[in-house]
Amino acid sequence: MHIVIIGSGIAGVSFAEKYRALSAEDRITLVTKELDGYYSRPLLSRGFTKADIEQSIILKPFDKLRASNINVLCDVEVTAVNRAAKSIAISGSDRELTLQYDKLIIAQGSAAFIPPPFRPYEKLFFCLNSLVDLKALRKFRQGFLNRNQQPDWAIVGGGLIGCEVASDLATAGDNVTLFHAMDRLMERQLAPEDSALLLKVLQDSGVKVLLNQAVQEFIKEEDKVCVKTEATAEFDGLLVACGFKPRTELAELAGLETGRGIKVNPYLQTSDESIYALGDVAELPNGKLYAFILPIRNQALWLAEFLAGQKQESWTPPVFTTKAKVHGFEAVHPYNV
Amino acid sequence: MSDYKKYQCGVCGHIYDEAEGDPDTGIAPGTLWKDIPDDWRCPECGVEKSEYDLMA
Repeated sequence: MHIVIIGSGIAGVSFAEKYRALSAEDRITLVTKELDGYYSRPLLSRGFTKADIEQSIILKPFDKLRASNINVLCDVEVTAVNRAAKSIAISGSDRELTLQYDKLIIAQGSAAFIPPPFRPYEKLFFCLNSLVDLKALRKFRQGFLNRNQQPDWAIVGGGLIGCEVASDLATAGDNVTLFHAMDRLMERQLAPEDSALLLKVLQDSGVKVLLNQAVQEFIKEEDKVCVKTEATAEFDGLLVACGFKPRTELAELAGLETGRGIKVNPYLQTSDESIYALGDVAELPNGKLYAFILPIRNQALWLAEFLAGQKQESWTPPVFTTKAKVHGFEAVHPYNV
Repeated sequence: MSDYKKYQCGVCGHIYDEAEGDPDTGIAPGTLWKDIPDDWRCPECGVEKSEYDLMA
């Protein structure tokens, strides 16, 4: 049997390693657009206070997976799934190829969600959703540090990622203004009391927090970028952190059933019986997407055991919690996950 | 020169430093890795103690 996995995040890598441990014979191929190996997505939010982050974030180079007899094709895009032929089309800088599968695991994760009004300005702002994004941000920032300046940042979005990055940039000494559309920070995950505590922690670390902000547009002014709300303010760098969007495009193109994510049954199986989905892209029958490390890893390990014939019962979500990586912040109440 | 060691979570990269412990989860500074209860979880991502590796 040949199992092909698309994606090398926590879902794809956990599945590949577990399945290899359970089955020595089956072929496993991991196909990914990443270059550097498996890295810690949570650590992206500590990308400015850790000097060695670009190396230390990589927890497993691809060669380590290859040494476990997992075939890895990196720096490539999967452009199509041919369900009738049970194959995927792969495109890389120097090659095009077709790969046959018996089982296909889609674990492509999610991209940054860009609200429609911001889409025309994509050249004006950064996102922080991958190691490639982090490297671009760090390079931009280093330009200022080399001139003995600390950049002025605007961060649009006071959810988990926006608060974490605001905290890390401020702790690294930069000037940060955080724009949030709602009347309190991280309103989806935190109790009102904890939102107030988070506000205080961020303010104490030097972040200027602006709530109830309707950001309308961005304007390029020479080497500055302006954020227009009721007033207009200018910054050196702009980061949009407005949530995530599961990468469902490939599945849609292949005609799989999708909603917000790729629809799966309680066995994480899509509307095609040979194709499974894991992690951020998997939408369970209850409509939920489990976009946190613990349940994703749990899904991946479960699916490996299920496909290896060691589990019969369907997947059930584990009890889990999360924790915002904001310097100095400890929530009093449990997070809503 | 202390003999305290560091262990890293292989899933999210969290580092447990025996010298510092992890007071947030009730592990006092100076607690050796072997003395941490088996049901302790990574404070960042929640995976089990067995996912940690000794750092070189």
